[in-house]
Amino acid sequence: MIHIRARRGNLIPEDRRVTMSTSALPKEPVRRKRITLPQLMLTLVLLVGSFIMIVPFLWMLVTSFDWAARLNISFPPKIWPEEPSIRTYEAAFTNINMFRYIGNSTLVSAGVIIISSLSALLSGYALSKLRFKGANFVLLLALSTMMIPFEMTMIPQYLLFSKLGLVDNYLAFYLPAMNYAFGTFLAKAFFDQLPSSLREAAVLDGAKEITVFSRVYLPLCTPIIATMVILLFLGVWNDMLWPLLILKSAAKYTIQIGLAMFTYNNGINQQPSIIMAATTTSLIPVIVVYMFLQRYIIESIALSGIKQ
Amino acid sequence: MDPVTNERRRIGLSSTPEGKWTAEHGKWTKRKFRFTRNDWMGYLFSAPLIIGVIVFAIYPMIAALFMSFHQTSGLNLSGTWVGLSNYRYALEDSLFWQALTNTFVMGIWSVMLGIALSFVLASLINNLKWHLGRNFFKAVYFLPNVVSGVATSLLFSFLFFPSKEGLINFVIGLFGIDPVGWFTNPEVARYSIVLMSLWGALGYNTIIFLAGLQSVPRDLYEAAEVDGAGTYRKWWYITIPYLRPIFVFMLIMGTIGGMKRFTDVWLIGGTAGNPGGSLMTVVLYIYRNAFLSSQMGLATAVSYLLFVIILILTVFLMLLNRRKDSLD
Repeated sequence: MIHIRARRGNLIPEDRRVTMSTSALPKEPVRRKRITLPQLMLTLVLLVGSFIMIVPFLWMLVTSFDWAARLNISFPPKIWPEEPSIRTYEAAFTNINMFRYIGNSTLVSAGVIIISSLSALLSGYALSKLRFKGANFVLLLALSTMMIPFEMTMIPQYLLFSKLGLVDNYLAFYLPAMNYAFGTFLAKAFFDQLPSSLREAAVLDGAKEITVFSRVYLPLCTPIIATMVILLFLGVWNDMLWPLLILKSAAKYTIQIGLAMFTYNNGINQQPSIIMAATTTSLIPVIVVYMFLQRYIIESIALSGIKQ
Repeated sequence: MDPVTNERRRIGLSSTPEGKWTAEHGKWTKRKFRFTRNDWMGYLFSAPLIIGVIVFAIYPMIAALFMSFHQTSGLNLSGTWVGLSNYRYALEDSLFWQALTNTFVMGIWSVMLGIALSFVLASLINNLKWHLGRNFFKAVYFLPNVVSGVATSLLFSFLFFPSKEGLINFVIGLFGIDPVGWFTNPEVARYSIVLMSLWGALGYNTIIFLAGLQSVPRDLYEAAEVDGAGTYRKWWYITIPYLRPIFVFMLIMGTIGGMKRFTDVWLIGGTAGNPGGSLMTVVLYIYRNAFLSSQMGLATAVSYLLFVIILILTVFLMLLNRRKDSLD
């Protein structure tokens, strides 16, 4: 589907113009930026809104660099730290083992991303291209389990892992990662769009099924892999409930649970600048990812929303 | 049967169902149940998914149902059969009802405000003719969405600091309003959580609404323009009805998410749901009973109640989408 936006100018090729509706056609043939009053007001309203969305971040940054706010929030609120210093970050890193937690989170996220997306791609491929007996049933089963809230299954899952002696073990993250029904759904929809004739040709040439999957189809799957990696990364990196149940020793904590436990044990409103320094640090990976992949993240979210 | 079709079927390329052929040749009927190499491959490829679904979704669901009828001690799956008494206990526990009420209050307000605000926001962004600006605002409004619940809670616990030092209290102080105990006043705490989650979730809804807004066929607007409809009438009579499936989707996702509220209330109010139990939610109630007082049976019973509530709400909301649309 081609979206033709009502944009002024010569960007739209001549042959497409015929498909465009009359109101979308440029009113003036000359490309000229004209700022109308409604557009200006719209921009202003949106700017005020953005400011409200951004202020918490700015306040967090300013406080995190303010050594004067290590015990109490400075009053009145500052737009520049009272005592600018990176000692707050040093204190955060000595009190909270941030490097370790970020490393742990990376390990957990990477494992879950690899296992979940592989499981989703393999099963999506099988459901779309192999059309084996019972494929529809498998898909239906997987999709219907998406309705089950995690909060309902977490207790038996926790008991299962404690029986297996896997509490405080990252396998408790990796094994359930196999169940990524939504990814399967996304992958199947994606494979459905790819031609089956590719497989037909490769199989008749004597290629193994796994070769067809990995050599023929996988290279075409970059968009859907990117979507899954983004959705999984944001989900796993920010998750707290399951790590809270599974991780017992501080050395295994992920960043969220490490941060949560520190504030939980010390009282939530204590040491503003140090907590804000730790929080800022915990946000750096997602913010960096967001800055580089912002467009893809937004597209993935829109896609996942519409698909669901 | 020709050998080519036979070969194609063996390697799973033929889409003709075998049953059709066997119906003509009665003696081959048993072939229908034979697994071809293709079928085995299918199951091999789907094995991680199937194992995952069985072990980490279906088994826990059955185990939870089983446990909810038992009085358990410690970390055991089974215990003594107590029938429905776990359910009865929960339904007679005033704390459970308090948790359910709080969850509903917070859920309804965040869903309603979230949808209304993000729809207005998406409409505003969509009307912006400046392409770069549209992308900029999308990125800015979505930013809080990538921030974890833990970070959001920590940040807002300071922004909503109860004395005059808190940023929000400082701002309202400029208008001569006395400091509000955002997270310390039981009357206010739930609404502070709503405001906080609004900040976090606004961008998500906006992105989805924007995608929906761009899918509204332009000829509908043109027809309305010909009939002399203004911007607001077009918005009210075309955009909103056309986006009803998206509204319903948001309602469903928002409701499900709202019913599962845990991270922020746990971090801000602790396991008691302070202040004064006003931040006690259903999942917090489950967590408390399961992992603090080791009452797994009671906890799973409540989790089943939660599941049933979510299911009923979802089905109810889906029915909203059933009504035939005049635009279809």
